[in-house]
Amino acid sequence: MLAPNRTSQPDSLLGRVAAGDPAAVRACLAQYGNLVWSIARRFEPSDAEDAVQEIFLDIWRSAGGYDPARGSEATFVATITRRRLIDRRRMRARRPSATEQVADLELEAPNVPPDTTADAAKAADALGQLRPEQRRVLVLATAHGMSHGEIAAQTGMPLGTIKAHVRRGLISIRNALLGVQQGEP
Amino acid sequence: MKDRAEELLVESALRPLDDRERAELHQLVPGGDPSFEAAATAIVLATTPIEPMPDHLIAKIMAAAPQPDFKRTLAGVSAPLGHDTIVGVALESFKPPPVIDIAQRREARKPRRAIAPWLAAAACLLVAAGAVWFAWQRQPGSVADARAALLASADAKPIAWLATADPNAKGASGDVVWSTAQQRGYMRFVGLAANDPRQFQYQLWIFDKARDDTYPVDGGVFDVSSTGEVIVTISPKLHVTDATLFAVTVERPGGVVVSKRERIVVTAARS
Repeated sequence: MLAPNRTSQPDSLLGRVAAGDPAAVRACLAQYGNLVWSIARRFEPSDAEDAVQEIFLDIWRSAGGYDPARGSEATFVATITRRRLIDRRRMRARRPSATEQVADLELEAPNVPPDTTADAAKAADALGQLRPEQRRVLVLATAHGMSHGEIAAQTGMPLGTIKAHVRRGLISIRNALLGVQQGEP
Repeated sequence: MKDRAEELLVESALRPLDDRERAELHQLVPGGDPSFEAAATAIVLATTPIEPMPDHLIAKIMAAAPQPDFKRTLAGVSAPLGHDTIVGVALESFKPPPVIDIAQRREARKPRRAIAPWLAAAACLLVAAGAVWFAWQRQPGSVADARAALLASADAKPIAWLATADPNAKGASGDVVWSTAQQRGYMRFVGLAANDPRQFQYQLWIFDKARDDTYPVDGGVFDVSSTGEVIVTISPKLHVTDATLFAVTVERPGGVVVSKRERIVVTAARS
């Protein structure tokens, strides 16, 4: 059974999961299942089911570490999800197959769960300020988990350009979240 | 120096660093900087189109989910409860004697020719019954009493269950009482088939006028171990604004997040 953690809040959904409340486990799956599934589908289109099962085991185990002062539950869940997916991709060291090529990388309207984060909305705004090719590369690197080499294969851009787009783009989004004055992206 | 630190922080938000990179980053930014990973996560949240998770995957995850370690067991009913409802008492660790059937108890009290063994047995039964009564008294109040008290509320009128053609519902009756103001209620069943929690469990769904009928509120998973009268506390997972229909389904152990409604045993509609 999961042990309660000092940093978890008993009233939060994750705090209740950490405390072993079975209803909270169901509620957590209802609340974040679609989010985790959707992120996994982007990272691992062909193995998303296995990935999601691993991720939820991670979430049950890590729920006690959630600290509301450091962000929303959705951000906590998305962070665990992304870390696990990155680990899986690296362990398999696989490239996306032809069927996994990302067809449409235009920035869609923010599709954030209502109780998610102001940060996600800020990130959407900041992404909108980037040049399309920079935005495309940054989304491939962060939301699809693609390596620079994979992005180069996908886009035909030189590695150096990709690296620069990712770096400047991520710093730009970070600065927007922190309220730091933007420099040249 | 700053450029290299930034480069490593960006990379650390995209992939695990190797040992040498980690050591270098630790030297340049001893405390680390989580804001880069937070930015990457925010991009994920902002750009990921949400799709529904397949039902069979939900079931798999629930099957692997942590199981409840606290359970309240009453005569005929056991319902999982949250930890906050029982303060410091793991009732499962308390081993009461088997529940005594009242008719059996009366039978045991009848005089017999070989009186001594029967008196001993009766004494044992009385002790056992006393233990059960003691265990019952440890509850904050009997469920039947709580239900009776709720029935006195202006907005809590019992609605009779309507049994379906499901084999588990054959001859089932009873009612449901719910108070919107108090956000609590009770289900009473007579004749609902007992279940083996390892095989399946019952789950209540509350249809709320204020919500989409596709996603009724989960009213809790429960077991029935007797076809006699049992009373089950309703445990809604969300606020219920205007309950229009109560339905009990048969679900896999642990319950489901979204029911396929393949086996509905009883329903009760509010007029």
